[in-house]
Amino acid sequence: MSWFRITLHRSAIGLPERTRGVLAALGLRRRSQVVFHPVSPQFAGMIMKVKELVRVEEVARPLSRAEVKAERTPERGFWLERRGTGGLEAGKEGEKVGEL
Amino acid sequence: MFGAFRFTNPLSGGLLWKIPWRLSRFQKYRHRKRLQAVDNVVATVDAALAKQGETLKQLERWKAEMPTEAEMLPRDKYTMFDRKAKRYRKGIHKLPKWTRVSQRLNPPGY
Repeated sequence: MSWFRITLHRSAIGLPERTRGVLAALGLRRRSQVVFHPVSPQFAGMIMKVKELVRVEEVARPLSRAEVKAERTPERGFWLERRGTGGLEAGKEGEKVGEL
Repeated sequence: MFGAFRFTNPLSGGLLWKIPWRLSRFQKYRHRKRLQAVDNVVATVDAALAKQGETLKQLERWKAEMPTEAEMLPRDKYTMFDRKAKRYRKGIHKLPKWTRVSQRLNPPGY
């Protein structure tokens, strides 16, 4: 089963109530928001109604909110290398120390 | 006749909107990109449904009737029919919300 990954790219300000209703039904509230819906004629019809406002991809599984956020978060720009004990070997590879 | 009381169109009262009669080449470029984005959405939805063996009346109708960006004539891309305009054509940017609506077809013969 595959999913639509729908991103609201253009705002619906000033567009008809029907159009904004479709966005609400898709669960899109703000620009750049991402929602996932299963591939089915029902959701395809809703996407067709707002095709000028959204970007759509087909993905294998829906991402969680944390995963979507992680995609957007840039690199931290620095790495913490292990200190001391192992001498030079410990930090030689510029090894990343996860989530301190 | 001169200075602050000269009779020019913007000063002789009322609201005068200065919308250029044609699009700049950068506007045309962004407009093409928007048309392509819509084509992409339709193609993605169509491919995803086709994989499941489903189809959609609305989608079939769009594919049958609407030209894609590459198939459209420049004249249909950047202008649209208007019965009140000289030579029955006006710039597509005169259409309200023109960046967020699909206006691709015009009456045959115009």
